[in-house]
Parts: sequence; C-alpha cells; structure tokens
Amino acid sequence: MDTFIQYTIDALTLGSVYALIALGYTLVYGVLKLLNFAHGDVFMVGSFAGYGTFELLGGGNPKVPLWLLLTLVTLSAMAACAALGVVIERFAYRPLRDAPRIAPLISALGVSFFLANSMQLLFGATPRVYPTFEIHDAVLYTSGFNIGNVHMPLLRVITILAAFVLMIMLWFLVNKTRTGKAMRATSFDREAASMMGVDIDKVIVFTFVLGSALAGAAGVFFALRVPTTVSIGFVAGLKGFTAAVIGGIGSIPGAMAGGLILGFAESYTQGYISTQWSDLFVFSLLVAFMIFRPQGLLGRADIRKV
Amino acid sequence: MKKAIALALAVLTMSVIAASAQGSQTVAARATAGYSCSKTITVPFITPVTGGAGFLGAEQSSWAKYAIKTLAPTLHLKVKLVVGDTPVEQGPTPATTLAQKYVGDSSVLGLLGPSTSGNVAATAKTFFAAHLAHISPSATRTDFTQGTTKEEYPTFFRDVPGDYIQGPSDANFMINNLHVKKVVIMDFQEPYSLGLASAVDAVLTKAGVSTTRLSAPNTTTDYSAYVTKVPSDADIVFFPTQKPGDAQTFAQQLIEQGKKAKVFGGDGSNDATQFKQPGSYVSNFAPDITGIAADSSIIAGWKKDNPGKSVGSFGPPSYGAAQILMNAIHLACVKGNGTATRQTVLQNIKKVSIKNWILGGTFKWSTKTNDPLNAKFYIFQIQSNGSYKLVG
Repeated sequence: MDTFIQYTIDALTLGSVYALIALGYTLVYGVLKLLNFAHGDVFMVGSFAGYGTFELLGGGNPKVPLWLLLTLVTLSAMAACAALGVVIERFAYRPLRDAPRIAPLISALGVSFFLANSMQLLFGATPRVYPTFEIHDAVLYTSGFNIGNVHMPLLRVITILAAFVLMIMLWFLVNKTRTGKAMRATSFDREAASMMGVDIDKVIVFTFVLGSALAGAAGVFFALRVPTTVSIGFVAGLKGFTAAVIGGIGSIPGAMAGGLILGFAESYTQGYISTQWSDLFVFSLLVAFMIFRPQGLLGRADIRKV
Repeated sequence: MKKAIALALAVLTMSVIAASAQGSQTVAARATAGYSCSKTITVPFITPVTGGAGFLGAEQSSWAKYAIKTLAPTLHLKVKLVVGDTPVEQGPTPATTLAQKYVGDSSVLGLLGPSTSGNVAATAKTFFAAHLAHISPSATRTDFTQGTTKEEYPTFFRDVPGDYIQGPSDANFMINNLHVKKVVIMDFQEPYSLGLASAVDAVLTKAGVSTTRLSAPNTTTDYSAYVTKVPSDADIVFFPTQKPGDAQTFAQQLIEQGKKAKVFGGDGSNDATQFKQPGSYVSNFAPDITGIAADSSIIAGWKKDNPGKSVGSFGPPSYGAAQILMNAIHLACVKGNGTATRQTVLQNIKKVSIKNWILGGTFKWSTKTNDPLNAKFYIFQIQSNGSYKLVG
C-alpha cells in the first residue's frame, strides 16, 4: 500500500507538470491549428529563467522568505517565457499564418532547435540544480505530512497545488472572461470571430503568452526537484504533446486530464511493470489514441462538410 | 528498358565495390604514409563538452590543451588540439562520425579519447582499421583490454585503470568498510554503467550481500520511481552514472522518501560542484593531485590558463594521456628521421614511460594489456562541507 501511495504522489507531481505543458500545446492548437513544437524548449527556457532568479535571490541562503522566493521564481519564469512566446509568434509564426500548414510546423521545429542551441551557447552544458535542498536544512524535503508510512514532502505539495491553481485560473480565464470568450470564438471560427469584431492578432498573441507562461511555470516546477539542462525540452515537449493528444488536442480540460493520465501511466508502469518500459508504454498510448480515438478523450471529432 | 536498369544496377554495384576497396586501400595506405614531423600534427580529442557530461569534456580538454601547449615544444613538435564533441544524450552517433573524419585527416597520427566507454565501443574498430592509436583518460570498461573481447581493441589504450579494478575495489570497500548487507545497483543502459554494475554485483553476490538491480534509461532525470523501489533497509545504492547531477538528485530523493541508503557513485559522478550530498561515496581513478608536490608547477600553470577553475580528477589523466601520445609521436619521429606514420606511433605507445607522472610515481604500461601498471582506484566520502575526503 505504501508503494502505491508513493507512486500516486509521483504520478500527481509528474502529471501536473505534463498538464501545464499540454495546456500550452492545446491552447495554441485550438486557436491556430498549429502544433507548436518549440513549446518544449520554452519549458526549458523557463527552468533556466527560474534558476537565474533563484540565484539572484540568494540561492541556498535566500534573502527573502521561502514563500516569496518560490513565488518570484515562478512568476519570473512565466514572464520570461511569455515574452519569448510573443517573440516566437511574431517572427516565426505570424508571417506563415496563411501559408500551408506544413510551413509553420517546420518553422516550429526550427525554433525548437534554435532555442536549444542558443541556450547551449549562452549557458553551456553544465546542468543547473535549484538549491532547494540547501534551504533551511532541506525544509522543503523534510517538512510536509505523512500518508500512512509515506512522507509527502512540502516541495511536492507546493508543486501539485500550484499547478492546479494555475489550471483553475486558466479555466476561469477562458470560460468566465471576455478575453476567454474571444479566444473560444477564434478557436471555433477565426473568420467569423474577426467579423464580429474580435482582434484576431491580439487573441493569438495572448494565447501564446498564456501557453508560454504555463510552460515557464512547468519548467520551474520540474526543475525544483531535478537538474535542468538545455536538452530537457525535447522529451518534456514530446510528453506534453502526448498528454494533449490523449486528452484531446484543442480541449483545455482534455489537456489537464491527459497530463494527469500520462503522469499516472508513467509512474505506475515504472512501479508495477518495469522502469525500462515506461517511455515505451507512454508513446504507445500516443499511437493507440491516434489510431482508435484521434480526437482524444475530451476532444471533438472533426466534422467535415461534404 | 529492363536491360538498361540491370546494366545501371551492375555499374552502380561495381562502383560501390570499387569505392569501398579504394577506401580500404586509402585507410591502409594512410597508416603507413609518412608525415613530416616539422608540420603541424593534429591531435583530436573525442569527449563530451556539451550535454549532461559536458563538465567532463570541458575539464579534460583544458588539461589536454595545457599539456600540448607546454610539452609539445620540449619534444620539438608542433601540435594542434581539436576537440570533437560527443554529448552522452546523443549516443554513439557523433563519435562514429568524428572517427571517420579523423581517420581521413592525414595530419592525425594518434588521438585522445573517446572519453566514454560507449563511444570507445562504437569507434574502436574504425581506429583499428586505420592503425590509429587512441588513448582514453576515462573509458574504464573492462572489455576494452581484458576478457574475451580484448582482441577487438588493440589500438585502444588508457592511462587509468579499468572497471575490472573499480568494480571489485568499490564492492570490497562496501563489504569490508561499510559492512553492507543489502545493496541496490543501478545501471543506465549503456556500456559504462552496465559493465561497472555487473562487476560490482558479481563481487557482492559472491560475498553473500543481497543485491537488487534497477535499470534506467540514460535520459532519465526524475528518479522518484526508482527511489521507491529501493528497500527501506538497503545500505547503499550503487549509482554508476556519468552525470553527477543525477547522483545528487537521487541522493536528495532518497532523503525525500525517508530511505536510509547512501549513494555510492563511480568515477563518472566525481564532481564536487554537482554531487555534494554529505555521507555519499565516490570512487575515482585519480587521487587529488594538489597533494602531489611534483605537480605544483603544472597546477599553477594550468590555473593561470584557466582562471577561476579548480583542479578536478578528470583533467590530470587527460594531461597524462596527451603526454604519452606526444612522447610516442616524438619517438616515432626520431626513429623515422623526421617522419612518422600512424603505424610507428602505434608501435611506440607502449615504449613510453614517464617519470614524475602527474598522478604520482612513474607511469609504465602493463606488459600484458594496454592498461597502466599497478593502477588503483580511490574512494572518497563527501563531507558536510561538500569536500571529498579520501577514505579508501
């Protein structure tokens, strides 16, 4: 029972990160019908931005209270990635908005390589480790609460709760605000939305800001626990994309569900089947969904006029 | 039409065969082609300078560069160091591409590396075919010089001991000094960790220690699921990673889950800036050379060229490897009256013996293998201030 609880905690932690990455994919796809393959590298940039802020604020001996430290680290990563998202949209995707769909896809791949290699040139190969363990005698690891014999560390609680708060805020923004309404209208029918007075360019930019900010947050939540390098974006992006597909690309609740499902699938496979098979199983899920339920769990099947 | 296609295929096949034969002839010819020692000799170094193990290549190449800068003029050689990057995350592909490139460069008479065992396995046959000696300062896999596959790598040399020493050294330290009863052994599905993990497992099992094997892909960053599998009464987790940051992550996650086991890393995790969990252990093939009086001027000179950097344990063997190679080239040049070939350099590698060896004592080759004679591994324990203390 203890191992089941531990695997579930791992699943929630991992799934929260995947969900945030998947949301970025789904938001952009929903509005632009574009798979933003640079999204994983935006996540990577977020982890580095957070690291920089962490070090600026004192690293293992923070100059500010812990809650403020983590808040500022997350917000700075989100802001940095949001700005990056604006730049990427403006220079890599907007000129190709009316081009065949393969063109922005290829551009996205190019942006992905550009980001990864630029970061490598700027920051080198050494992994960056958030000094979370050094703060106040590893309080983030040793405090928390117990579920049976299993310790739920404070760091995991913060990661999971923060991710869920962001998801709820996103849901609220998309469903209960005017801007969200504009986003949904653009997603449904861009032309019609434009005719109704929606500024499409602003909506698209805002979507990129939102998606990239979530990726930045995911980067921080991920790197709070494991080292970050310039190469983490690729696999994380693939898994975020898989989560978005499983949940239904274009569906926000689907992306959240997909991320959590992926986290559980990966964690339980590692725990109960084999640690060597988890990636195989995860990507097999992607293939299976593409074949048997391409619209995903909560996505809408495409209706084509004949 | 069919006849035309058949004729075209036949011509294509003959062309490929001819090109292959020509390539083989070219490689063989280059092995014995004389190269003037008055010209600049290129010494490539195949090592990861980017990626998770980039710290390794960065340190190694800085020491090799320093060795070439200071020693080449004394041996009347003009030498240029060229670093070929092989990120560990990309597997052996970059190394195989680089190997072909260097084999085709006539100014290359020998080279350093590859640094990682996986890349040695991928390139050794290429270098053997080209009669190109390569000296690795860190590839420790046993098979390269010992056991039934030894004959596959006759042009491979290393100036550090192999895992046939590291594995038993680490295991015996765990048995005799730590009195372990239960050990978890990880591998990362690549040649270095697989070889070392198996070597340690064999010794521990023979001594009656209970072992559990876990295997993680080389790209793993979050080890939570693996930590969950560590029994709560395990004493040690043997963690032969090539990424010290991962060793630190694993150690932290052990504490996060309330496990008492300590991490014991191999030489690949030896980096005090990344792996600094107090109580953990690290083994390495080199001592701390700052304690060797004869090295003080070398260290001072290296530090001057590398301000702000500290002396690690991967760099000095690279200095040594470069020193051996340049001495072998020098011997070949002398015997060849100003001309050396890849073959003569290869023949002279084992004739090199170095007094005041950077790792202490005198360097000599084993008479039986392409390993150093009487080499040993050193075991360090990480202290509360992050420093590495020699304990075995």
